[in-house]
Amino acid sequence: MGNMTNMVARIPNLVDWSTGEARLMSRKCDSCGTYFFPREHYQHRPGCSREGVKDVLLPKKGKLASYTIQYYACPPPFKTEKNITPYGIGLVEFENEKIQVAGIITETDLKSLKLGTEMETTILSMFANEEKQEVVTWAFRAVK
Amino acid sequence: MREVYIIGTGIHPWTGFSEKVFSDFATVAVDGALKDANIEWKKIQSIMAGIFIYGGNAGHLTGQYLESIFGETGVPVVNVYNACATGSAAIRMAYNSVAAGETDTALAFGADVSPQGFLTAKSDNAVQDRDVIRWKMTAMPNPVYWALECRKRMAKYGTTEEDLALVKVLMSEYGSRNPDARFKKVYTVDEVLKSVYVCDPLRLFEICPVSTGAAAVVITTDKELISKANKPVKINATTMGSSMYGDPTIRISALSCPAVPEAPMLSESYSASRQAYEKSGIGPENIDILELPDNSSWHYLVYLETCGFCKEGEADKMLRDGQTKIGAKLPVNPSGGFSSHGEALSAQAIWQVIECANQLRGRCGERQVKNPKVAMAQTYGLMGNSGTTIVTI
Repeated sequence: MGNMTNMVARIPNLVDWSTGEARLMSRKCDSCGTYFFPREHYQHRPGCSREGVKDVLLPKKGKLASYTIQYYACPPPFKTEKNITPYGIGLVEFENEKIQVAGIITETDLKSLKLGTEMETTILSMFANEEKQEVVTWAFRAVK
Repeated sequence: MREVYIIGTGIHPWTGFSEKVFSDFATVAVDGALKDANIEWKKIQSIMAGIFIYGGNAGHLTGQYLESIFGETGVPVVNVYNACATGSAAIRMAYNSVAAGETDTALAFGADVSPQGFLTAKSDNAVQDRDVIRWKMTAMPNPVYWALECRKRMAKYGTTEEDLALVKVLMSEYGSRNPDARFKKVYTVDEVLKSVYVCDPLRLFEICPVSTGAAAVVITTDKELISKANKPVKINATTMGSSMYGDPTIRISALSCPAVPEAPMLSESYSASRQAYEKSGIGPENIDILELPDNSSWHYLVYLETCGFCKEGEADKMLRDGQTKIGAKLPVNPSGGFSSHGEALSAQAIWQVIECANQLRGRCGERQVKNPKVAMAQTYGLMGNSGTTIVTI
C-alpha cells in the first residue's frame, strides 16, 4: 500500500483504509443474515423483512476459493499506468460472513496460487489523477 | 392455452463485425421466416422484438424500426431485453400472446451487430450501473467469471484441460457442417491445447467471441396456416427463469457470491428448465437433441448437469464416452453451438430454437440428427436470466 493520505478510490464506498489496513465495505442484514458486496448489491433471503441492514467491514483475511490468470489487457474503462497483464483475479472467501468476493491479485507469485491459500485484502494503485493523488482499488495478496 | 406452432424460421448467417446496421440483418431473417411460413407480412398480428442494446434509440425500438421496413400495420410491438436470453424473452412473449388468444400469428426476432472486442460497460455511472464497478475496479471481462467457475469445477470434479479442449473439437466439427455458423475450421485436441490462455484455465478456442447475426420465427395457432406450412413444429413449453437465493455461481457483473450454496448452480437455468419440464410433461430422458449455451467449454459441461441430463460431476464422463455426439444418445449442439457462432445477444436464443425446429424438420444437411422427435433449446444471460424452449414434431 502506498502513501495512504494521498490515495483516492476510483469508485467510493468499496474499500476502507481509514484504520491503517485495507478492508472491504460490506453490509449485513440482521434479519436474514446475508452479507452484501458491494454494499448496494442487496440479495435478501425471500420473505426477509429487510430490517436492520447495517454497514460492516469484512475481515482483512480470507481463503482463496478460486482464481484465474487473465492474459489479455482488460479494455477501458479499466485503466492502469503500466500494463499489468498477466494479472490474477481471485475469489476470496470470508468464511464467517459466508461470502466470496472477487478482486485483482497483487504482490503474489501467480504460479504459487493454490485453492485454499490464505489471502489478505490490500490496496492497488492504478494511476495518478490530475491532483497527483493515487487512484486505487482493492486487491488481494497471499499472506506471507 | 391454445396449441402453438412454429411455421417459419429465418436466419442471417452469423458473421463478425459489420458496418451494416442491425435492421439489414433483421430484414434477411424476417424475410426468410415469412417465406418459409408461406405467409405475407400482413398476416403478422404482433411483433416481439429483442432489443439491440448497442444500437441507441433504434436498437431499443427494434420492433418499430423493423415494422416500418415491412410496412406499418398498427399491430402490438413490444421490445424486450433480458441480456443474452433476450431472444428467449421475445419468443416467450410471442408464444403467450398466441397461446392466450390475444393474437393468432406472431413474429419474434432478434438482430445484433457485434461491438468489436470484449463486451464492455454500457455506462460510466457506477452509482446507477453497478456493472461499471467490475470494469473500473477489478478488470473482469465476462470470460473471467467463467474461468473462476471452471477452476472450481476442475478442483471438485476432476475436469481436465483435455475435456475442455474436447468440447471445442466436437463443436468445431459440427460448426464446419453448418452454413450459418461463423467459424468453420475443424480443430484437434492438440491444436486447442496450443491456443493461448485468455483467462487460465480457459483458452482462446474454448470461449466464444461476440458476433453479428439475426434470427426470426413466425408462430401461429391458425389451423389454416398450420395446414399449409411445411412441417410445423409444436412449441410444448417456452419458459424463463431467474436466479434463486443462495445460488453459489458468481454471476457476470457481480463482485461477490454466496460461499454456502442453498440453491443449485446457475439456478436461473435450473428454474427455467424445470418449469419447461413441468409445463410440457417432457423430461430430459425424452429429449433427442439439446442446444445449450456453450459460451465456454465450462458451460457445455455444467449445463448438462444444470438441466438434469446427468448428475453433478458426471458431464465430463458423458463427453469422454461420446454420449453427446450426433448419432449417440443425446446429440448436444449439432449446430456447432456458440463456440462456432459467437454471441449475437438478442438473436442467439432464437437461432437455438430454429436449430431445434429445423432438426425436427429434417433440414440440417450434414449435421442432421437421425429422426429426432423432441428438442430443447436452453440459453442464459447475465444477472439471472434464462430461457428454455421445448419443441416436438
